[in-house]
Amino acid sequence: MNLSKSLLIIAAFIFTISCDTNNTNDEIATPETYEFTRNGESTVSFSGQTTRIKMSGELTSAMTDFDNTTKELLLEMFRNQTENGADANPFSEAELNAATKNIKSKVAASTDFFSTNTAVSSEIKTQFETWLTAQVDEVFPNENIQAQPGVAGQIADGSSTRYVSAKGFEYNQLVAKSLIGALMTDQILNNYVSTSVLDAGTNIEDNNNGITAEGKTYTNMEHKWDEAFGYLYGNSSNTANPNLTIGQDDSFLNKYLGRVEGDDDFAGIAQDIFDAFALGRAAIVEGDYELRDEQAEILRAQISAIIGVRAVYYLQSGKTVLEQANPDFGTAFHDLSEAYGFVYSLQFTRQPGTGQPYFTKAEVDGFISLLEAGNGLWDVTPQTLQDISVDIASKFNFTIEEASN
Amino acid sequence: MKRYILLFLSVSLLILSCTETNPSGPDPDDFDRKAILENWADNIIIPALTDFSEKTESLKTAGNNFAENPNQQALESLRDQWKAGYLALQHVSMFETSKTMEIRFRNNLNIYPVDTAEVKENINQGNYNLKLPSEIDQQGFPTLDYLLYGLAGNNAEILSFYNSGENSSDYRNYVVDLVTRIDSLTDIVLNDWNSGFRDEFVNNSGNGANSSIDMMVNDFIFYYEKNLRAGKIGIPAGVFSGTPLPQNVEGFYSKEFSKELFLESLTATQNFFNGKHFNSETTGLSLSDYLDFLNTIKNGTDLTQLINQQFEESRAKAQNLNSSFADQVEINNSLMLQTYDELQKNVILLKVDMLQALNINVDYVDADGD
Repeated sequence: MNLSKSLLIIAAFIFTISCDTNNTNDEIATPETYEFTRNGESTVSFSGQTTRIKMSGELTSAMTDFDNTTKELLLEMFRNQTENGADANPFSEAELNAATKNIKSKVAASTDFFSTNTAVSSEIKTQFETWLTAQVDEVFPNENIQAQPGVAGQIADGSSTRYVSAKGFEYNQLVAKSLIGALMTDQILNNYVSTSVLDAGTNIEDNNNGITAEGKTYTNMEHKWDEAFGYLYGNSSNTANPNLTIGQDDSFLNKYLGRVEGDDDFAGIAQDIFDAFALGRAAIVEGDYELRDEQAEILRAQISAIIGVRAVYYLQSGKTVLEQANPDFGTAFHDLSEAYGFVYSLQFTRQPGTGQPYFTKAEVDGFISLLEAGNGLWDVTPQTLQDISVDIASKFNFTIEEASN
Repeated sequence: MKRYILLFLSVSLLILSCTETNPSGPDPDDFDRKAILENWADNIIIPALTDFSEKTESLKTAGNNFAENPNQQALESLRDQWKAGYLALQHVSMFETSKTMEIRFRNNLNIYPVDTAEVKENINQGNYNLKLPSEIDQQGFPTLDYLLYGLAGNNAEILSFYNSGENSSDYRNYVVDLVTRIDSLTDIVLNDWNSGFRDEFVNNSGNGANSSIDMMVNDFIFYYEKNLRAGKIGIPAGVFSGTPLPQNVEGFYSKEFSKELFLESLTATQNFFNGKHFNSETTGLSLSDYLDFLNTIKNGTDLTQLINQQFEESRAKAQNLNSSFADQVEINNSLMLQTYDELQKNVILLKVDMLQALNINVDYVDADGD
């Protein structure tokens, strides 16, 4: 199992270098629960992340509410403000409407990847808004038409009904799975566990001296790390021990970590990720920034792997359906729409030890254009799906078989 | 090194406890698969479909009679034809072909629970298209169940929807549309078998993934797992949802029919396994014979015997159930769960042991639930 081999190598590396540090503290143990206090009060906080996970859930559900959803509503949910920038109340949960947070400002917004790349960031935010409006403009009018090549409409997926674009894509799946990359993954790997954010301003000195943020129980650095934690576990019913319900706590990164954990080839990944979060946070409390950064690298490897594994899983699922004697196109389109979102998310992953994603935007755009060519999913061939799978798997440390069974 | 010895020992044990065919035994290729296909097509599938299409024709007639004159007698007559048709459906529903998949035959005839709100909207507004995937839960036998038994608490009130209520003509038209559609879809399937598909099916007698045997066996197991085990027992009993769902039983509105439908389906699937001719005591070639030919043993017992035994166990448990499964779920759900458990045991025997022996791969994946 290649993931655990890399982990072994990383662990060995850590062991070697930790012997060389001047740090005279005893070795920091990995906490069993994510609970940290200062003067008896909890210092853990990530409400903004919980809010955005919930907003994302309502947004993607609204995309298939043919009776009530409008273009304006979807955009307001994405921005949490009206077209003119005024306060909006698009959500059904009151506390989301009251929140000052929004999804859009954190899409493709990580410091490492986008602080000097606002042009690309803007393109990506626009892409999401294009999908949202296309759902209403292109798919909604054809709610009761049967989809065909070049014609949006409904299509059977077993006894479920899917609603697809003229090219066979479910825009709600494109949005949901792409948010996993552009919002959750990007914010964790390229923002909140990055030294550019953790060590910004006087964070190190403040953390060394126990100086907390104004009116709060936590230091800025502690809080940044918690915000990374929050994008994965923010909607858990047990945030101190989120592996109790891993996979069940949202429809985004948490759900798919659960799926990958459920695959025997990758079992243990949930514990590895939790341990890295917990140990990194403990390292911050002890002022051991090298140990902290080692955990960040583990998170980059493991969370990126979730994206890669699920991209291949759905590409292969769709391919298997298309290869049947009588393909159930609705089933294939559902799988491949999810695949599209995970492929799109690859540009937000992070190769450990580098400042790069596993796949550049250009490479991802290349894969996407293969899926969209001609009549899109109506035309895509099993060979194309296989080629993309091979490219992805070979960049990571898993095989296609491991990811797809 | 010790670890590897342990691994080797446990793997060996695992292999020994699995299904084995006689090591120097017969080759699956030596069995006359074409003869099985002929028995299936000529003595089971086509006769069952022919019988079913006669019943759907009678159902259509009864529906039209009822629409012309919606009185108590016509309602009883229609209900009788509905029941006869629903029982006959259990003998054909497991058989998929490229034609049944193209017209989504099973899903258009038997999706429950019914979306009663949409049904009412269809009737009141008149703009429905029963061909749409999204309308599978607004037609077929379950929706007729709702329209003939579920509109009100007594017959007089039910009849008033068709006689005096507003939209009474729309209610009558909807019933006619449903019985017409059931009959025409059935004709499409039967005609397909009778005009070339039978020969195509029988001649495709190899053993690859797209051979008739492979596809038919996969469809059979899929039906057993999803429609029989889960659809009729498991889902209502709450096996997949945590809490029981009495409103998800087959035949919810007629109340007393669920058990009969289940037993009919159980019999139909067992008969298919054994090659029993439709509506006859004669048995021909089928999976039971194929397994016997391969001398398939599991834990010292003939696999065919084990499978038939499990069918009997399931039947025995089901006999204890109330004829209304919705009531059974609420009175004593553990009896439903016990029936489910017996059905589940046969999933293992069929999906794992039988397929392994026949060298057939499962061609469907349990959906991710995404």
